[in-house]
Amino acid sequence: MNPNDLAERIISGDEKAASRAISMIENGEETGFEVLSKLYPKTGTSFRIGVTGSPGAGKSTIIDRLAFCYGKKGKKIGVIAIDPTSIKTKGAFFGDRLRLKNAEKIEGIFIRSMAHRGFSGGISKAALGAECILEALGKEIIIVESVGVGQTELSISLISDVVITVLTPDFGDEIQLMKAGLLDIGDIIVMNKMDIPNAEEKAKDIIHYLESIKGEISVPLVKTIARQGQGVELLIDTLEQEREKKLKEEKENKEKIKTLVIALIKEEMEKGIEEMMEKNITFNDLLAQVISKKLDPYYMARLVVSNILKNGKLEETLG
Amino acid sequence: MAEKRIKVLVAKPGLDGHDRGAKVIALALKEAGMEVIYTGLHKTIDQIVNIAIQEDVDVIGLSIMSGAHIPLTRKLMEKLKELGIQDKKIFVGGVIPSKDIPKLKEMGVEGVFPGGTPIEEIISAIKASVKK
Ligand SMILES: Nc1nc2c(ncn2[C@@H]2O[C@H](COP(=O)(O)OP(=O)(O)OP(=O)(O)O)[C@@H](O)[C@H]2O)c(=O)[nH]1
Ligand SMILES: [Mg+2]
Repeated sequence: MNPNDLAERIISGDEKAASRAISMIENGEETGFEVLSKLYPKTGTSFRIGVTGSPGAGKSTIIDRLAFCYGKKGKKIGVIAIDPTSIKTKGAFFGDRLRLKNAEKIEGIFIRSMAHRGFSGGISKAALGAECILEALGKEIIIVESVGVGQTELSISLISDVVITVLTPDFGDEIQLMKAGLLDIGDIIVMNKMDIPNAEEKAKDIIHYLESIKGEISVPLVKTIARQGQGVELLIDTLEQEREKKLKEEKENKEKIKTLVIALIKEEMEKGIEEMMEKNITFNDLLAQVISKKLDPYYMARLVVSNILKNGKLEETLG
Repeated sequence: MAEKRIKVLVAKPGLDGHDRGAKVIALALKEAGMEVIYTGLHKTIDQIVNIAIQEDVDVIGLSIMSGAHIPLTRKLMEKLKELGIQDKKIFVGGVIPSKDIPKLKEMGVEGVFPGGTPIEEIISAIKASVKK
């Protein structure tokens, strides 16, 4: 398939072409990256909302309501739901789509499930590419649900303009909050499931905790009952306010792009090294020496990397 | 291309409300290393095709217990043809009398799995069809 044609078809609104191009990027096909190179310079005006939080907190249900409300305002919407890849079998089961019952009714919504396929940080390597493609397809609001919890969740913020962290009143105690590291990211905290018993009380504890760690910097907190659609309009207002704020933070935005590029470089390197392990004779010789204890593993690692870096002049075109 | 994975849509068209079997199969396919999407109950053929396009799946598996497998499958095949996406491999499972299997195959269905088909057989049939 010709990348020019494919890019044109995406811009003209062809869902099949968009969907195909996303798969190509997921599968590491050259054509997919060529399409992206054509589309990327034209992007940057959509509003990219990242949604993260502990499993079962209600991320998908919130996305369903957000998409529905934005849709009623006439916005064109794309949703990317990222689920974990099983480490053992490499398979994945996508369950988020089932929760998007209201959103599915919106005219022209595009929903895509993605497995993270081992990319560090809870997002998939292809997620940024998918965002670009959806924007080129004409989507104005792009919502990304990211998998699981943990410190590495930081990376959802790299591909989002604003990140929502979803918590529930039954999350547990302070120690669990601290351990999960969820509060380190997120521009807005959503306290969902406010309909469960003692919710107000538990929510207060968490708010106190937040104030004690975040100090002066206050993160807006929105209470919702997503299952009933309560609090969603307020969440949209808060999102729009945060978006305005973020647009002004030029330095932070540059920093984000840099971190993202470095993450992608590491990913590419990893792939390159795996290929090298299979083919390169010197590599395998050295490895044999480590196995027979003539060399130590640290030495070999430093030797390989210093060689790659020394020989690798940075050219401006892709060879 | 080491990164290519088989992507499967497990779909429940029509009125029947039994999806135990569909879910069991979905999980088994995941265990076999595939990326699996389940549509949920009561989807129309149009909805199923729409999901198949957006998710760019390689395989669509219809799970039908209601007895309406012939008209539903025919409708799916027509829709795929109309939209020019006949490259998807179609499988049908559920309560399917053996006399209907040739009819389904004639419509272009890749494989038919009546209730009780061993899961290994389903997995290898899907893998073989995608390689073609
Ligand atoms: N009581 C109550 N339950 C809710 C609310 N919002 C969502 N739920 C339920 O919580 C469960 C999980 O919701 P999801 O939206 O799938 O949560 P999620 O965070 O996307 O889950 P994963 O993607 O699996 O991590 C579902 O059974 C929802 O119906 C709420 O406001 N109140
Ligand atoms: Mg979810």
